[in-house]
Amino acid sequence: MHCYQFREMADSYVDLETSANTNREFAYHLDNCPVCREEMAARREFRIRLRETWTKAPENQMRPEFADRLRGQLHSLSLSKASTNTSSVKNHPRSLNLQRRWLLTVAASLILAIAIGFVLSRVMRIKNKSDYESGVMPDLVKTELAKSAVGDHRDCAIQFRLAERSTNLDEAALKYDHAYIDLVKSVTSGEMLPGVEFVKAHSCIFQQRRFAHLIFKYHGQLVSLLVTDNDADPGKLPTVPASGQPNVIACSSFDGYRVSCFQTARHAVFVVSDLADGENLTLARAFESSVVEHLTRSEEPASF
Amino acid sequence: MFLGASIANSLDERTILWERFECEAMPHASSLFRIARWLTRNQSDAEDLLQETLIEALSSFHRFSEGTNCRAWLVTILYHHHSKRRRAQSHLHLVSDEQERIAETIAFEPSTPQNLTDEDVLSALRRIPRAFQEVVILADVEGLSYKEIAEATQVPIGTVMSRISRGRKLLRTELATYAREHGFGGVA
Repeated sequence: MHCYQFREMADSYVDLETSANTNREFAYHLDNCPVCREEMAARREFRIRLRETWTKAPENQMRPEFADRLRGQLHSLSLSKASTNTSSVKNHPRSLNLQRRWLLTVAASLILAIAIGFVLSRVMRIKNKSDYESGVMPDLVKTELAKSAVGDHRDCAIQFRLAERSTNLDEAALKYDHAYIDLVKSVTSGEMLPGVEFVKAHSCIFQQRRFAHLIFKYHGQLVSLLVTDNDADPGKLPTVPASGQPNVIACSSFDGYRVSCFQTARHAVFVVSDLADGENLTLARAFESSVVEHLTRSEEPASF
Repeated sequence: MFLGASIANSLDERTILWERFECEAMPHASSLFRIARWLTRNQSDAEDLLQETLIEALSSFHRFSEGTNCRAWLVTILYHHHSKRRRAQSHLHLVSDEQERIAETIAFEPSTPQNLTDEDVLSALRRIPRAFQEVVILADVEGLSYKEIAEATQVPIGTVMSRISRGRKLLRTELATYAREHGFGGVA
């Protein structure tokens, strides 16, 4: 492969849209051409930069008061029987902002009393669901653990530049953590979102922290599922839910990557990707059940 | 499907539907707003478009299949509403031959400049033709797949792929030109 061919196809390679044969040629060329290696890194970084810049641009920010009002309107509409009927919504004038404001005000007043009681009754249930919208972030997602997970995703899955060589997951299971045994099988045989494709798995180390690293492809992006020991400051962690209760999944961003996390008694699990808002969280939710079940089983004392 | 083909009638069903909508659809509101803002070029119109989109999505949410890509579904609804608005305003959305020809003339692969400010990046993006801006934003910023972009924009997937490729090349060319003119860039 020549440099000009590499550059022509580099974006498709970043999008994971190239064939296995082309990927091998790319990998060989990357190993031997420092200029193209630098160009590849520059393209990946530019994408992250473009995304951050566009997302942060002042004109692209929703006004908080509009966001609050919209959410309130939708909530009110969802509780009114008519809102769930498509035809009635289609009859709405195009701009509710202008033409139905008075009607919504009246409707909102009537619904307010019901909504207050309803919201109060839901407070505890909402705490057990994602904190993405509620603004309450369990601290695990803000710990150094989460930052290490993002670093591992970036350096191992995206840029292939880890200091230490990765090891086979079964080998790592024998040496370091038996929870790694059959982890891939549990995850891939569990409930996976349509479109999620397993790529590979291994155990790797980022800044002295060992991870079981499962790599998936989703909507053309690489997604890392990382499992590590849950040894963050216990005082800062949310309580692990009792068996059968939904796990809290929190979402945050570091270095332009989205990270969602959940935990078991001994393990912290991170889902890291380049995906946009919400999708990373959806993926984490889809993985949560099979991963938690597998890890919880491995954490039970062995019976002889 | 969450509630089957039925429409949520009881308060409990409506409550569950809202909880699911809030968990699955609402996290995408910011992304939808950015796309709406780009499409309408106007804050107030973007708010109206987002509002219409989410109301429509809420009303149709019982038909949304759990586990499929909610954001792509929402973006498709948003584009549908935007098209209706444009038809109502008798605007046409065409990519001119000239724009396609400009893209065709980018024969070489410019390197990706570095050391650019946010404003450099944004203004370069705004300088490329809108049809190419659109696919670059949808693919590289909002993370939609080629297929999802094709479905939302009602453009054949082959055209989407070639526009993404040309759009990225145009963007790199804009940035490389800017970096060269201003004597920096650390071009790789």
